[in-house]
Amino acid sequence: MSWMHTTFALILLPAIVVGLFRILRGPTAADRMVTAQLFGTCGVAILLLLSTGMGNPVLLDIALVFALLAALTTMTFIRRTWHGSGKKKHGYSIS
Amino acid sequence: MVPVKKNMDILYHSGTLLILLGLPFFLSGTVGLIRFPDIYTRLHALTKADNVGLGFVVSGLALQSGSWAVTAKLLLIWLLVLIASSASCHLIARSAMQKNIQPWTR
Amino acid sequence: MINFNRRFFLRIFFFSSVWFILTGVDTTSWMVGVPAVLIASGLSLMLAPPSQYQISLAGVFRFIPFFLRQSLHGGIDVMRRALSFRQLLDPGLVSYTTFLPEGSARILFANTISLLPGTLSAELHGNSVTIHTLDRGLPIWANIQGLEYHIAALMRISPEKMNNS
Repeated sequence: MSWMHTTFALILLPAIVVGLFRILRGPTAADRMVTAQLFGTCGVAILLLLSTGMGNPVLLDIALVFALLAALTTMTFIRRTWHGSGKKKHGYSIS
Repeated sequence: MVPVKKNMDILYHSGTLLILLGLPFFLSGTVGLIRFPDIYTRLHALTKADNVGLGFVVSGLALQSGSWAVTAKLLLIWLLVLIASSASCHLIARSAMQKNIQPWTR
Repeated sequence: MINFNRRFFLRIFFFSSVWFILTGVDTTSWMVGVPAVLIASGLSLMLAPPSQYQISLAGVFRFIPFFLRQSLHGGIDVMRRALSFRQLLDPGLVSYTTFLPEGSARILFANTISLLPGTLSAELHGNSVTIHTLDRGLPIWANIQGLEYHIAALMRISPEKMNNS
């Protein structure tokens, strides 16, 4: 158990908690979704620090899955929820 | 035995320093997310600051781990997060453009 | 066909390395790993057929320090703007026409723009990229041209040839 790494992880926790405020405020759905990206990067950093802090290498794999899921969440949101309804200025292109 | 330990200590402490350097980036990413005026500028804040912060944390932990296997895995995680967040950032910005959300201007 | 086999083996090598990094030295994991690597290599060839461009190793080694330096600059730039008492933002949209060919080069270009200081790729249409910038006073053009040059070197694309066509 390394207290230093656990403390570092605890320092990062407010970064996520304060970011939740953006979900409350919005104003658009995309603004809320950006917080998912915050969870992706900040959450991964916390998991990595905890992995060293608690001496548990399994947390590295969890961080990996977390990173993948954060990206998939955003893409699903864009493709399924947010994209369809709204004025389309251009054709839909995969880029 | 003693020189080896000293060497390890130097690696460990420079790792700690790198992690400490990374933390302010995460905090300023969140401050930007709260403070910046529109979706585009908020995307800037999160994508750039958090990825640099994660880069510092990853390289610090890699120095402290002293193992090539863990270092490779940490770098793989960082690369994945880089690709994922730059792709999500582009997708969100593009959708916002297509919805005619006007960027905030001075 | 020889070229195709070479690329297939390159992808097998790539996915095997990823599997090795994920599972470590545990040999029994390869019971799952070998089929997984083969399926992944086959699928990746189907979904992303090899392009005509080859990645240059020297280009990769020049790209990595460039990328790290630029993203560090980008992070510091955002930190400065987020933490300063005064409002330091002067955002705007600019359009950039790239000579990079369609496909992986252009996608890498669009994705990396978002990690450069003060720029974010908002839209990609053919060879035109709409870029959102945090500050219109930043040297955006120089940064983006630098990135374009590095990606061209990475994929062995010659800028002269692309400009004339």
